[in-house]
Amino acid sequence: MNKILIGLLKYPYWIFGITLVITIVFLSQMAQNSRMETNLDEYMPQEHPAFVYSNQAENWFNIKDGIIVAVRNEKNIYNEETLTIIKKLTKTFQKMPQVEKDDVTSLYTADNIIGTEDGMDVKSFYSSIPASQEELDDLRKKVKANKMVYGRLVSEDETVSMIIAAINDDVFTQEFYEEILSIARETETENVSIYVAGRPIVEGTMALLGPADMKKMVPIVLLVITIVLYLTLRSIRSTILTLLVVLLSTIWAFGLMALVSIPIYAVSTMIPVMLIAIGVADGIHLFSHLQLFRWKNPEVELKDAVSDMLNKMWKPVVMTSVTTAVGFISLLTSQVYPIKYFGLFTAFGVLSAMLFSLVILPAGIMIFKLPAAKQRKAEKNDINSGFSIAEKILKYKSISILITVIIIAVSIAGIGKVWINSSFLDKFEKDSDIVLTDAFINQHFGGTSTLNLILDSKEPGAFKKPEVLRLVNRMQTEVVAANPQVGNSFSLTDYVNRMNKVMHADSAEYDNIPGNQELIAQYILLYEMSGDPENLWKVVDYNYQKLNVNFQLKSDNSKTINSAINKVETFKDDFQKLGIDMNYAGSGYTGLVFTDLILEGQIMSLVLSLFIVIMLLGLMFKNIWIGLIGSIPISITAIISFGIMGWSGIPLNTTTALLSSIAIGIGIDFAVHFIEQYKLYSTRGDKLLTAEKTISHSGRAILFNAVVVIAGFLVLLFSVFPPNRELGALVSANMFISFAGTLTIMLIMLNKSNIFFKNKKDN
Amino acid sequence: MKTLRLITFLVALLVVNTNEFYPQKLTGFQIMEKVYDRPEGNDMTSDLTMTLKNDSGDERVRKIKQFTRDFGTMEKKIMFFVSPADVKNTSFMNWSYSRQGQDDDQWIYLPALKKTKRISSESKSDYFMGSDFTYDDLGDRQPNEDSHKLLKEEKYNSDDCYVIESKPEQLDYMYSRTVSWVAKDKWIVLKKEFYDEDGDLLKTLTVKKFENISGILVVTHTEMKNVQKNHQTIMDLKNVKIDSGIEDSKFTERIMTRGL
Repeated sequence: MNKILIGLLKYPYWIFGITLVITIVFLSQMAQNSRMETNLDEYMPQEHPAFVYSNQAENWFNIKDGIIVAVRNEKNIYNEETLTIIKKLTKTFQKMPQVEKDDVTSLYTADNIIGTEDGMDVKSFYSSIPASQEELDDLRKKVKANKMVYGRLVSEDETVSMIIAAINDDVFTQEFYEEILSIARETETENVSIYVAGRPIVEGTMALLGPADMKKMVPIVLLVITIVLYLTLRSIRSTILTLLVVLLSTIWAFGLMALVSIPIYAVSTMIPVMLIAIGVADGIHLFSHLQLFRWKNPEVELKDAVSDMLNKMWKPVVMTSVTTAVGFISLLTSQVYPIKYFGLFTAFGVLSAMLFSLVILPAGIMIFKLPAAKQRKAEKNDINSGFSIAEKILKYKSISILITVIIIAVSIAGIGKVWINSSFLDKFEKDSDIVLTDAFINQHFGGTSTLNLILDSKEPGAFKKPEVLRLVNRMQTEVVAANPQVGNSFSLTDYVNRMNKVMHADSAEYDNIPGNQELIAQYILLYEMSGDPENLWKVVDYNYQKLNVNFQLKSDNSKTINSAINKVETFKDDFQKLGIDMNYAGSGYTGLVFTDLILEGQIMSLVLSLFIVIMLLGLMFKNIWIGLIGSIPISITAIISFGIMGWSGIPLNTTTALLSSIAIGIGIDFAVHFIEQYKLYSTRGDKLLTAEKTISHSGRAILFNAVVVIAGFLVLLFSVFPPNRELGALVSANMFISFAGTLTIMLIMLNKSNIFFKNKKDN
Repeated sequence: MKTLRLITFLVALLVVNTNEFYPQKLTGFQIMEKVYDRPEGNDMTSDLTMTLKNDSGDERVRKIKQFTRDFGTMEKKIMFFVSPADVKNTSFMNWSYSRQGQDDDQWIYLPALKKTKRISSESKSDYFMGSDFTYDDLGDRQPNEDSHKLLKEEKYNSDDCYVIESKPEQLDYMYSRTVSWVAKDKWIVLKKEFYDEDGDLLKTLTVKKFENISGILVVTHTEMKNVQKNHQTIMDLKNVKIDSGIEDSKFTERIMTRGL
């Protein structure tokens, strides 16, 4: 292997040329084929039972996420100006090509079921704008008397009214959002203000804001990394070559993605993050080795120095890269396709980076005739300080072990506090418009998020039975009462209650489910005749065999959804007795399941890759103990970073969960380089000297690596998008923990285990 | 010269498309007038089976016994539900007036409540009992409410048809236009397309069967399909009796409560 690599040194131009050609092919593929996947449905594992059911239910009941537009007049909404705006906005939305006419709900479109002297009427609240004060007062009275609207479409303080435009998942675009915002802005007057919220807005904005922010931040990250890299390598050419490795491997990874026509998912934007963190490592280790070698042997030819570098370093570079790649490939166990692809293409990127480090980098050195950097005095001190550091670490090893044990214990306690959050809204700044608008609407209405409970009976007509509807009604009331985060609920029961009431002269006594199935069936028939039966099919199916119960929630975070579900589940047995099953549907619920799946896959793959790493290292060094010791940086990085999340309240979500992969990548790099050097120096038989030499050689490179990546990712702390800030903080923290763990506890374990020395004695 | 005349005659015959021997071509309006004026009898009794199908393939079947009588300026109709069982004997009465702008009067009797209640539909564009037919689709629209244009003549199934495009004179109508296939000698609409306000196809009505009952052609099987919602209504008439002399007293609230 090293012979081939050294042989290749003769043809540096050819190597550059060939790499360039392949890279251009990949670039042209990217130009033609790359596309960003923005439809969140494409991320979901559609064959998973929870998604299959939810998709079906969404079809049965036309469940869609709604854009919520709140119209506010501080006095109250019952005046010509406000009512005109509500009507105008309703009609505008109905005419938009992205919105189906029937999917717009507002005071203007709502049905008012009312009792009259001689019967029942289903009327609209208003069609032409009421002109006189009398008519306005009448409208106000009508709204207040109808629970199906009061508190749902008109706030109880009468100052805000909602318009909901339900849209399909795939129609949201930046332009659409801009259009709605500009309609809202244009419609606003001195007295009437307009707010836009709802899950499609939150989801869409997040999908746009995250990558947009990354686009702004990544150049700065790269710039900082370049500067720090230059300060450590102290050579423009080495810096460029190291960055070239990262750049080329990223192009190859995305190029291959384009070649096999796989779209770029949101998680794929993490691939460059991984490749930056991992890809610079090989370069740093190689250059660090080369530099040290040339300082020690200033008379040696450049080519021989590079040969020595390849001789000594090819093995750890291959070992780290292969192990890291296998670690990422373990993500194939995930049920979520974007994650599988993420693992696969990152692995490919890591292996490309390996190839470039061993081929392009030496070729570059040959072409650019890298001058030997002058060794400064400070650097001699570095080596000395490396010696003293090693000495100190080994001297105070019991303290190191104790501290590590304490930190691990504290972290494990913190892991218990880690909470999973599938919320989109929580990813925004607390004082951002989108969060404030959401809070405003939640304050006035039931809630901006929806949980759909689907009741499924084996028997047709089950949901006309009084005992069934009464149970549904009781459940709705109790779930809303028990949980302040559940604003209200809506189902077929609300129609039946209302009709029973108005058919009995609006008597509050009859605001309930009648005890006679025929009467319920006849009420519904009556509604169908006089109302808009389409509305019914949003809450019940054709055969009255399936029921959709909506719960409005004031937050989309996992805690809120789970606590609502927990309360609902207490009715499970009661429904079971009636032969009715419970299931859930809607985007809030599938988001929750999705996050759980990602985490499950992530933890599975973490455990699996840890196992694989131990085996691989054990094989490579022909000793299973080395495998175990080599897994120390990974394990402590993973444990401590989860601990930090637990204690600092950073929730686990799709982004932060993926970061455990970085722990694997970096942990392996550090461990393998360090152990390999330790093994090389151990031939001299002196334990302390081995540790000292390793620290000042590998330790130095590891320090450089850590400093470069930490400096780069700390830049993300200035991001405007909170998830990107968390990303920066956690990558930096992971880097630091791996660094500290390798140089302290792993060194101590190596030192204590006597592995390499025992062998010598045996020999 | 003679040959030329013969050719002209033959070509003209081809263009006019055979068995049509009217000296002058009918206008769209005249055709629709003939459809409107086609005798339908003074009263009708029938068993209606209404089948509703939604886009997931679910089906609901309602059996109804219905009586209709034409009083000239108004049409009275009374319907009794036969099934499903939980709405049996629920009855519905509708008086519709030919005077423009006058809303229908409607009553419903709920046997479970033992009460007759008045209901009101706000407009003719409401769908009838959750079907794909609006009240307007079920009634006869006067020809002078639309402007009609004869688009072409063509065969539909085995019948020669006029294809007429009708556009409402007044703008607030629920359809922007309709296209009807009118059977030439029978003056029955065999197929009709309804276009929504945006000009997109909304619904298609097809007549699957018509029968000669007491000398009058009665459409007994129709299907209305909403292509935008993928929803379908099938109306099937059985035991049709024409001009059996239904009395005026049949159309009262008292009869509604009596059931079948």
